[in-house]
Amino acid sequence: MDRRQFIRDIVLWSAGIALVTPRFAIRPEALAAEQASPLLSVAKGEDYPALVTRVLEPLGGMAHFVQPGDKVVVKPNIAWDRSPEQAANTHPLVVQALVVLALEAGAQRVLVFDRTCNEPRRCYANSGIEQAVRAIGDRRAVIEHVDQRKFIPVDITRGQSLTRWELYRDALECDCYINVPVAKHHGLSRLTLGLKNTMGVIGGNRGRLHFDLAQKLADLATVIQPKLTVIDATRILLRNGPQGGNLNDVRRMDTLIASADPVAADAYATTLFDLRPDAVKSTVVAHAMGLGEMDLGRIRVLEV
Amino acid sequence: MSRPARFLAKATWRRISQALFLVLFLFLFIKTDYSGIDELTWAVNLFFRIDPLLAAAAMLAAKTVVMLMLPALLILLLTLIFGRFFCGWVCPLGTLIDAVRPLFGPTGGHPQPGWRHGKYYLLFFILAAAFFGLPLAGYLDPFSLLVRGLTFAVHPAMDHAAITLFTWTYQSAPGWVNVVTEPFYSLLRQHILPFTVKVYTLSVFSLLLLLAVLGLSSLHSRYFCRKLCPLGALLALNARFAPVHLVSGSRDCGTCGHCHAICRMGAIDQERSISKAECILCLDCLSHCPNARIQYSWVGPGAGSGTMDLSRRAVLASLASGALAPLVLPTRPLARQPDPLLIRPPGALAETAFLGLCVRCGECMKVCIGNVLHAAWLEAGLEGLFTPKCLNRIGYCEYNCTLCGQVCPTGAIRRLTMEEKHTTVIGRAYFDRNRCLPYAAGIPCIVCEEHCPTPDKAIKFREAEVINSSGEMVNLLQPYVVEELCIGCGICENRCPISGTAAVLVTAEGESRHADEFGTMGGGY
Repeated sequence: MDRRQFIRDIVLWSAGIALVTPRFAIRPEALAAEQASPLLSVAKGEDYPALVTRVLEPLGGMAHFVQPGDKVVVKPNIAWDRSPEQAANTHPLVVQALVVLALEAGAQRVLVFDRTCNEPRRCYANSGIEQAVRAIGDRRAVIEHVDQRKFIPVDITRGQSLTRWELYRDALECDCYINVPVAKHHGLSRLTLGLKNTMGVIGGNRGRLHFDLAQKLADLATVIQPKLTVIDATRILLRNGPQGGNLNDVRRMDTLIASADPVAADAYATTLFDLRPDAVKSTVVAHAMGLGEMDLGRIRVLEV
Repeated sequence: MSRPARFLAKATWRRISQALFLVLFLFLFIKTDYSGIDELTWAVNLFFRIDPLLAAAAMLAAKTVVMLMLPALLILLLTLIFGRFFCGWVCPLGTLIDAVRPLFGPTGGHPQPGWRHGKYYLLFFILAAAFFGLPLAGYLDPFSLLVRGLTFAVHPAMDHAAITLFTWTYQSAPGWVNVVTEPFYSLLRQHILPFTVKVYTLSVFSLLLLLAVLGLSSLHSRYFCRKLCPLGALLALNARFAPVHLVSGSRDCGTCGHCHAICRMGAIDQERSISKAECILCLDCLSHCPNARIQYSWVGPGAGSGTMDLSRRAVLASLASGALAPLVLPTRPLARQPDPLLIRPPGALAETAFLGLCVRCGECMKVCIGNVLHAAWLEAGLEGLFTPKCLNRIGYCEYNCTLCGQVCPTGAIRRLTMEEKHTTVIGRAYFDRNRCLPYAAGIPCIVCEEHCPTPDKAIKFREAEVINSSGEMVNLLQPYVVEELCIGCGICENRCPISGTAAVLVTAEGESRHADEFGTMGGGY
């Protein structure tokens, strides 16, 4: 069976349209994932630092994810030379609050970085994230630019479309990887959410991955596995993503979504754009690979 | 004159001054970079703005007073009073020339004055040519030579060396080594090395030019300054009138002639007469005269050896050739068909005015954070050598950046406000559908659309149903350019994932700087 057929089947199947038995073997972990009913927490509010604390509470707070002495990576989206209100990057206050909570949970070091699309210094500065992390004033909170030496080739053994690529060492070696994407529109993948945010920890020519992107993102998700995904939907970019630039394309939502299940987080965030989870192919493919739940009926959503 | 006892020799003061100005020059060079805001916090182009040669050439070419270059008057005035102190005490290239001199064997001067008039004729030629439309001053200007060599070759090479070394220590050396090397490397990275790896066209050529200028010292000391430097020549013309200068030894000296032998500029003749025009006040003679007969004091405006022995015939010939040479320029096809790939930085003036004002200092290429600006070879004609052009496969023009216009010492690249920058068209993109994946192979892509920075994207896409190379019918998105929205920043071409030539390409079509020319640029009928 070819890949296209596979994806088509999955789309139809998960949309409940095709009732025929799918023609592929379900991997054991897919079965396992289906059995668990992942928790997902949604919080609304205008005080973003407080909102971060609130959204994590139902999941057991940051202490559930970060153990004392852990090396933590907080991976926001800092891809673009855009200001916070333009909604192209993760909100600096959300990043800051997560770093603070990780420090409070006893992290040995919290590293914040992203491989940007525009000039890195401009992105770090104008996203407000560099300033926000520095303002914490704790030496354990580190924001640094990507160091080319740290990209190491990794075999993606479960990868179907992407089997080997350069990944960032800190993302691989940390004890706790926290993914903090901003929810926004994207021309090719429709939306960019948690899975797409992983593009910021990989090296090489990323443009090459845009062919069969959904599968490749799912493949990457087999090696870069966040313990926690917090989707920043404090404001979302509805059009002209992923960069935006026009404030008319931005909608204020004051919402955060958190889950230990990266696929569930993406699936739920999709609904903020009045789309169904299967509108984002990477969600569908990752779910099929057993990386998480996308069926909203099976996700335990806790609104706080 | 009583010497300050046991105080620093006067030539030592000169050396300290040279060192300080070289350090200042290098400091400003490093600071010619983005610093966290879209404003340059230091007067990084300082040396260019006090350069009377470039000021004169730019003003003659523009036939107007270039306000940015007025500080150069200060140097001219000081030279009128104190002589060519600039060459001996300030000029960083002169300092480097002095510094490498010991590499070529015994130091000291060379008695023969040689063909030192060359620099004057060169100066007259350059100034006349600048006025009549052939701007060449930047080719031999000492700062331009130096900044180009440093920007294009030395700085990136240092970066490469550091990366090689510290990648090796990072990957292969034991932990305790890295405890030392990593902090050191990050210090270097923060304060000395370029932020990212940069590459430049003409890097080897620019380095060779710089090395040649330094290497000429093997013939005799300060060869470039004595015989070629047009800035030195301009200063020399003014230094003739200096009322304070070195008073040379008298006939009572006897047969010593030591000053004549050691003068690095060959400015002291057999009779121990010191040429005001050639003397750069290095003060070596002052320190070395066994009888301390040479003094620095008031000699009066007219006095001293001020003559230059220029041949009137040669002066007229250089002025005439400078005036006539530009006549040949319009005979080239360039006049009718400029290179469509010659994409100038945003804010660049219309081509003729731009070439006239551009002093080839390389500052815009140094400061360009997108590494898109590169030195042109002959794409803009012989007079366009080293002028900046965009190479989008190497870099792209950062949408919110206006640094090149801020750093340009002459205003050849205008300083743009952010709003102006966002609407200044430097070119326009088009698709090569024979290569673009969604068109040519039925493969989804649109990386270009993703990166297109205009808030209303200049690259949009349509959904299309096509047959891909495996013969399957697929639905995908095909990109296209909306011309009126495209400003030619080139990020699409830069990020196009196919290897080799991109499938989306930018040409200089539609550039704002030629908007008033009724489409006459670029041929057509």
